[in-house]
Amino acid sequence: MQCTRRALLAGVAILAAPRVRAQTPSSFRFALTPVFLDNDASVIMALRAALATGMGQEIELVQRRTYQEISGAVLDGSVDAAWTCGYPYLQHRAELSLLGVPVWRGRPLYQSYLVVAADDPASGLEDLCGGAHAFSDPDSNSGFLVTATDLVRMGEVPERFFSRVIFTYGHRNVVRAVAGGLTRSGSVDGYVWETLSVAEPDLTARTRIVSRSEWLGFPPFVARSDRTAEPAVSACGAALLGLDQTDEGRAALQRLYLDSVAAAAPSLFDGIAARLAVLGGG
Amino acid sequence: MTRLPRFRDLPVTVRVPLVTAALMIVLGLVASQIVLAALGRVQDARLSETARLHLEGLSVALGPPVLRQDVWEVYDILDRARAAFDGQRLLLTVVADERGRVLAATDPRRAPVGESVAGFEAGAVAPDAVRMTGGTVLRVIAPLGYQGRDVGRIVTELDVTDLLAERRAVAVWLLFGNAVATAVLAFGGWLAVARILRPVGALVRAMDGSKGAPRPIGEAEIPRGDPGLARLIDTYNRMTTAVEERGQAERRLSERERFVSLGRLSSSLAHEVNNPLGGLLNAADTIRTYADRPEVVRESAELMQRGLVHLREVTRAILDQNRLDRAGQVLRPEDFEDLRLLFAPEAQSRDQALDWRIEAGAEALASQPAAPVRQVALNLLLNAGAVAGHEGRVGLVVTNGGDGLSIEVSDSGAGLSPADLGRLMASGPLPPGGGVGLRLVHDIVAGLDGRLSHHRTGAETVIRVDLPIAGNADA
Repeated sequence: MQCTRRALLAGVAILAAPRVRAQTPSSFRFALTPVFLDNDASVIMALRAALATGMGQEIELVQRRTYQEISGAVLDGSVDAAWTCGYPYLQHRAELSLLGVPVWRGRPLYQSYLVVAADDPASGLEDLCGGAHAFSDPDSNSGFLVTATDLVRMGEVPERFFSRVIFTYGHRNVVRAVAGGLTRSGSVDGYVWETLSVAEPDLTARTRIVSRSEWLGFPPFVARSDRTAEPAVSACGAALLGLDQTDEGRAALQRLYLDSVAAAAPSLFDGIAARLAVLGGG
Repeated sequence: MTRLPRFRDLPVTVRVPLVTAALMIVLGLVASQIVLAALGRVQDARLSETARLHLEGLSVALGPPVLRQDVWEVYDILDRARAAFDGQRLLLTVVADERGRVLAATDPRRAPVGESVAGFEAGAVAPDAVRMTGGTVLRVIAPLGYQGRDVGRIVTELDVTDLLAERRAVAVWLLFGNAVATAVLAFGGWLAVARILRPVGALVRAMDGSKGAPRPIGEAEIPRGDPGLARLIDTYNRMTTAVEERGQAERRLSERERFVSLGRLSSSLAHEVNNPLGGLLNAADTIRTYADRPEVVRESAELMQRGLVHLREVTRAILDQNRLDRAGQVLRPEDFEDLRLLFAPEAQSRDQALDWRIEAGAEALASQPAAPVRQVALNLLLNAGAVAGHEGRVGLVVTNGGDGLSIEVSDSGAGLSPADLGRLMASGPLPPGGGVGLRLVHDIVAGLDGRLSHHRTGAETVIRVDLPIAGNADA
């Protein structure tokens, strides 16, 4: 079922890409996943403005529903760079290079949260057996991989451990699903949950964090490895790393509750790689 | 059975406003019912439209995710639709797949994913059939079609608390408004009817005001604006004048009858006085002739004294009969002696036999007033004497009749004519011709609360008067 959906969505993305490119041939295309930026257009506008200023070039921000589509778009060249997740980066590590990693609360790291409704008595993942669970995306580290690997370590798989698994394609949607009672629990990006707790405290107040994962590499900005030498791509990387140096960049970072974007080595994602290995081994 | 007569007994000025008020209440109820029914139709139409738009809008968006069984997409659409309708009447929306299992609901805790939707379908109707039933929550169900196939169904709970409150508020205001309008119109009706019927009320009061003596209505009270009523009151006023004139005529007739009786008496009494006068003159001549014979003088003086005493008694009786200052005196045996003295010459003049029996004691007689009883007895005796004829028989018997006094006057005449009986026994208008002596008897007896009876036995006619003890009329 998931494979079918991924293939279908990737196909849609590939088919759509040439048409989009044809419309704006001279702009730099930057893909964003709505996984964690789906509810505030002003944030996206601020980021685009900051990048455009930094690069001295028009930026076209392209939004896709899933990481699968983002990865496909980067790989087929229909977008020039993307803000994706550590998990798809690792899935296509051979083809992708890091342009930078956001720094949140002083570190380029974040956690995955396992959340339940505020009045749910569960104290750990094992207590959630038999309930419905919300993931954000099958290619999300915090929104799927962490919980899936935890279950593998327990000798379980999500489809069997939970009565029903749904993908909401958005970390905020995971919080909505749990807060609204659609599912008993959810796997959510810790950075998104913490950001929401400031922006929409009423929403996160209806949920409770049951467990937090270890600190893992923050979702990175990536580009296709064979294009990193292109001036536009390298300019994009430079603009990202210099966001905290400009007013517009700082304004965008502030809206994203981020400190800066830093250069990072692939080893930053070793934690995710380890979990990926668990899943592959399972 | 008792209510209708009671209502009929009410004055017209109360009955008409009551009927008006009752009609207003009926009108108010009918009008209220019509308004409420119209309101109900409007509310049903609003509900139906709301439900239809909601379900149709959702159906368009929900088709693909329901077909894919995409729980999150369905929930996301429902949740965003609920947020858009926040605070309005959509309480819960449940979407089920074609097998009747819940795919998602706006409140997943009430309708968990995967549960049967049957519980929510109970009582649910199609959007076009939704009607206010009195409950605060109504359920609407619609099939979910996509690409020409039925992929599931959607059930929505509508909160109609506000509509019910609106209907209640309208009902209360209608009730209040109708009550006020009814009260105002009933009061206005009462005022109008009371004003219209005021001349009739004056007419009734004028007729009831003084017993048996209707008084005319003043010109100021005659409603000249209402020709019918004015004519009625004018006619009434003419009638009162006629009645008054008739009463005066009767009183004059009674007085005349009184003098007629006296005239008849005086002729016989003149004869009565004349007889002793001859003896008295003879006695005077005897005294003058035989002045030197003391025994003759003494005898003649005694004869003169007896004659003068007789004359004195006759004159006293006449005076007593006609004195006005006897009013208030009680009846005594002497009164009947006076009557005999007055009537005896009348009977003797016709060679009639007189049966005179006063059997009632002084105590029984004293319970009656003297003047009216004497007048009654004298009138009856004069009538009996007149009808008994030459050498007839006239009787007077006065007895203690039970609780009162009975006076029976009998005669051997041919009996009372129908006209005389009408005068004596009835209260109607006086028949033409004849005197009013017998009617005077009737009126006096009625005034004394007595009873008159008449019967004829063989050749004898008896008129009996029963008089109750004064102040004991009801006994």
